[in-house]
Amino acid sequence: MQKKKSFMLLFAIIMVMATVLSACGGNNNGNTGTNAGASNTPSESNGNEQPAANDGKADTSEEVVLKMLLVGGKPIDYDVVFGELNKKLKEKINATVEAEFLDWSDWTQKYPLKFAANEDFDIAYTANWAFYNDQALKGGFLELTEELLSANMPLTWKAMPEVAWNQAKVNGKLFMVPNNNPEVTDKAVLIREDLRKKHNLEPVNSPETFANYVKTIAANEKGINAYNAKAADGWKWHELDQILLEQQNEWNLVDYNIPLAYKLTDEKGQVFNVYDTPEFKQLLAYYKDLADNNAWSKNVVSNKNDVWQDMKAGKTASYAHNLGTLAMNLAELRREQPEVELAIADLTPDKKKIAAISTQNGMAIHATSKNAERSLMLIDLLQNDKEIHDLFMNGIAGNHYEAVGDDKFNATAGTPNFTGFSNWGANSPLNRKDASYPAEADAIANAWQEKIHNFALETFVFNDANVKNEVANVGNVMLRYAIPLEYGLIKDIDKGHADLIEQLKAAGIEKLQQELQTQIDAFLANQ
Amino acid sequence: MNRSGFWGDVLKQRMLLLMLTPAVLFFLLFAYVPMAGIVLAFKQFNYGGGIFGSPWNGLDNFRFFFESGNAWMVTKNTALYNIAFIVVNNVLQIAVAILLFEAVGKWFRKITQTVLFLPYFISWVVVGAIAYNLFNYDVGTINSILNAFGIEPIDIYNTPAYWPFILVLVSAWKALGYGSVMYLAAITGIDTEMYEAAEIDGANVFQRIFHITVPNLYPTIIILVLLAIGNIFRGDFGMFYNMVGNNGLLFSSTDVIDTFVFRSLTTSNEIGLSAAAGFYQSVLGFATILLANYAVRKYDKDHALF
Amino acid sequence: MSATVTNYGKTGNTSKGAGKKQIDRLLLSLIGYSVISILAILCIIPFLLIVSSSLSEEGKIIENGFQLIPSMFSLEAYSLLFKYPAQLLKAYGVTIAVTVIGTIGGLFLTAMTSYVLQRKDFKWRNQFSFFFFFTTLFSGGLVPWYLMIIKYLDLKNTLIVLILPMLLNVFYIIVMKSFMSSIPEAITESAKIDGAGDFRIFIQLIMPLSKPALATIGLFIALGYWNDWYNALLFISTENLMPLQYYLYKMLGNMDGMRRAMVSSGAVVTMNIPTESLKMAMTIVATGPILLAYPFIQRYFVQGLTIGAVKG
Repeated sequence: MQKKKSFMLLFAIIMVMATVLSACGGNNNGNTGTNAGASNTPSESNGNEQPAANDGKADTSEEVVLKMLLVGGKPIDYDVVFGELNKKLKEKINATVEAEFLDWSDWTQKYPLKFAANEDFDIAYTANWAFYNDQALKGGFLELTEELLSANMPLTWKAMPEVAWNQAKVNGKLFMVPNNNPEVTDKAVLIREDLRKKHNLEPVNSPETFANYVKTIAANEKGINAYNAKAADGWKWHELDQILLEQQNEWNLVDYNIPLAYKLTDEKGQVFNVYDTPEFKQLLAYYKDLADNNAWSKNVVSNKNDVWQDMKAGKTASYAHNLGTLAMNLAELRREQPEVELAIADLTPDKKKIAAISTQNGMAIHATSKNAERSLMLIDLLQNDKEIHDLFMNGIAGNHYEAVGDDKFNATAGTPNFTGFSNWGANSPLNRKDASYPAEADAIANAWQEKIHNFALETFVFNDANVKNEVANVGNVMLRYAIPLEYGLIKDIDKGHADLIEQLKAAGIEKLQQELQTQIDAFLANQ
Repeated sequence: MNRSGFWGDVLKQRMLLLMLTPAVLFFLLFAYVPMAGIVLAFKQFNYGGGIFGSPWNGLDNFRFFFESGNAWMVTKNTALYNIAFIVVNNVLQIAVAILLFEAVGKWFRKITQTVLFLPYFISWVVVGAIAYNLFNYDVGTINSILNAFGIEPIDIYNTPAYWPFILVLVSAWKALGYGSVMYLAAITGIDTEMYEAAEIDGANVFQRIFHITVPNLYPTIIILVLLAIGNIFRGDFGMFYNMVGNNGLLFSSTDVIDTFVFRSLTTSNEIGLSAAAGFYQSVLGFATILLANYAVRKYDKDHALF
Repeated sequence: MSATVTNYGKTGNTSKGAGKKQIDRLLLSLIGYSVISILAILCIIPFLLIVSSSLSEEGKIIENGFQLIPSMFSLEAYSLLFKYPAQLLKAYGVTIAVTVIGTIGGLFLTAMTSYVLQRKDFKWRNQFSFFFFFTTLFSGGLVPWYLMIIKYLDLKNTLIVLILPMLLNVFYIIVMKSFMSSIPEAITESAKIDGAGDFRIFIQLIMPLSKPALATIGLFIALGYWNDWYNALLFISTENLMPLQYYLYKMLGNMDGMRRAMVSSGAVVTMNIPTESLKMAMTIVATGPILLAYPFIQRYFVQGLTIGAVKG
């Protein structure tokens, strides 16, 4: 007994020692460059800066270094482009910017850690798919008030539509400067037009014609997957669902991680479980029919290959993606294999379209940033100052891209040296388009633009803070039960469907639905 | 030197204590102080409050796990897989170490030992890719071979029953070279006089292996097994995730706690929820190791961990 | 010195020369050679697949899967890896420095700790063993650990951060302790009588006697450092300090992660990178040096110095 006590004493002493030791080690983080060159004269008179007069404009007499957290690999020519960018920024807002890049491979781990450790940075890329809501609710971002925005972001304040700001609100508060890119991001399918012609099939423009195309290819072309998807990477839906379930039925999923949707035309915003609808059961039969006709590989759920690479190698005859990506694929193949003819097929051409939600990309201010105002000025320029926007998005003209007029560009040999990171937070109408962008994709996009449907719930964002556990469990059920069912891997679809519904109930879908409905009702009542 | 009691002992063994100090400091700094983070399992984390200032939320963080209806299944899978890994891997590694030491020539041993180590260097991502090439239904190597013999192809990725065997084999394959090195080192540590004595008594090679080599490996085996038992409720995420991925059809026989938690949290990025799952694994592991260690102590005090 | 170990069988045989002995030896050899050969083949084929695929044209891999002989030879993956040779060399340099320093330091501390813990006369051996072991069961998770290193120790972007957190591993300490306990206590006892201090006994007597154990644990520590990319992922953001494995991991991970992000963000970026062959080439680049060095390390634990040999 005596022994034990003594040991505890020793242990306690060491513990105290260690605590003292670790406390000493702390708090010596350098304060880099907050007052590097304070002698610079304030630059008030810059021709193209903020035409609107404002009194609340912050004092920019002190030069600051703004730290920006971006997602993606550090571009090879970072130093060159950001060097150029900083020259201009220094002139305009007496600030320079330093970016830290969180690689695509590990940003999901590092990003929250940077906030948890309260590291020193001012601006962070954020997006609805990059934990925007979550970070905002946890207090990671600074709330952006109307005064802050109008005073420091004159260009953006003018250019950004009201809807975009509203979509970015979490619990009524704004934490993000969303991108300004009102494109429709519906999905389409890329098909082998040459094979379609070879088998004398009618043009693919509906679910039926697509099924016909896929089944014909599967039956007649040996060694080719008629349709393919990378179903293994954690996406909780069949990759055609967005087209055949959402677009086709004019539904809007509130959040891709939960199977709850409302009809676009329903002003009351009545939420329902999409799996528990006759439309879904019909779609299951459609999928099952395709699967039974070998439209896709039996192992599609384990597929580890990149589908586009498969398609280029001639092993896959169709896949679904957003229009922009398919258009670039098309352009790429035209360059590399002109003998292969591809086409973009819009399977739901007549349906109502939803404008892209503004929070798909954006930038936020770190809650503990000391340079919030200057940071907002920077974002303002990045998004809406033509010269700076061009630099940030495309690099240096003549080196990383070749300007074609004011709104287009041609890729150059240097293009890969400044790309691949999330500069998308600065998307705006000033974006240049790739000049090689196929005309047919443009045509589809323009047609979509005309069918944009605006509705009250457009700006509604679900706050899942109270139902975290249910969201986690429902997501798990979707992966485990819905995916195999949709890819036709379950023999008895009725039983599989019943299992799915039952598992969802057990996972708490009803509580989730109730919570969502309450929030929607409250939102609509406030309108 | 004539003091007695605790401080007397400290004084007497001050050199040993001093030699232990770097390690003690190391674990205080990198393990014990950060261990305070366990409280996050019972908190609703926010950045303003941090680890200590965030509000408590009781057992709320554990709900996702226990209310999923899968808690028992994934816990059971994790433990069963680890038991299978411990048994199969150790038996194989011991056998290989003994054979390498006793049965084969010097050059053969040198070369094969290097070769057996190769799988250790192949990352799970690459192992997963090779497995996909081997197992996939349409063009996989196994089905191509079956096809050549006119046998029906087998659908491995849609059949949960194959997977326990596949995973145990893959695990054994990957750990073989690495693990057998440990046993090889233990064998070289055996006093050769014992062998010579057995030799003189007229024992044959097999008797010698089973009566001298294997018993002499017991301490090593017990230690390695005990160490593994402490982690019996932690699944090898890299292996399970890269071999099985998100293939829901296989989950009934392949889902372990770590993959389940990973899938649950991909969307919510909630620090408290993962802390809760980790705490659950720790508590189970702790209970198991206390039991196992107690059992070993009863049998032989010297071989217990603590 | 090792002669006693490797030759005991033969001396036994020649001295007795009985037929029965020959047969059991033969049988064991038969089992040994066949079992080990089969296992070796199972281990080498996947590796050959990797070598071949790394030299294969990407399109052909997608078309035919991995093959033992490349159907179209291409060095594209390697040329991509070596596109910035200075970077790659630097990464090798960092990895080698970290591995060497970490292994020497870690091995010494591990051995010292283990020695104390296995001393039967050390009063608190069980308590300290438990103190160490406990850390393998409970951990506070990533966040506090990260905070400790970033905030309190302020080790971000230093070489130390790649070495320090992995310096000691409870698993190795305990295994080492178990190895060391086979060293007869009499050695420590007699040295003590001669008036040697504990530290001197450890350095001058125990360390030399533990060579096979040191070689084994040293190998494990070295492999741990060589293969580590996680510490770099968390704590290193400057290119100058990126170790090899992280450099490679990043290269591949960026492409995979990018594809996923494109779906969610609506962004469009074109990339044309031979992912499959690159994955394989990376394995070769990362493993090559270790494989070349392995035979040299190997001799220590294959023909290690044994207690018996010393005494005999």
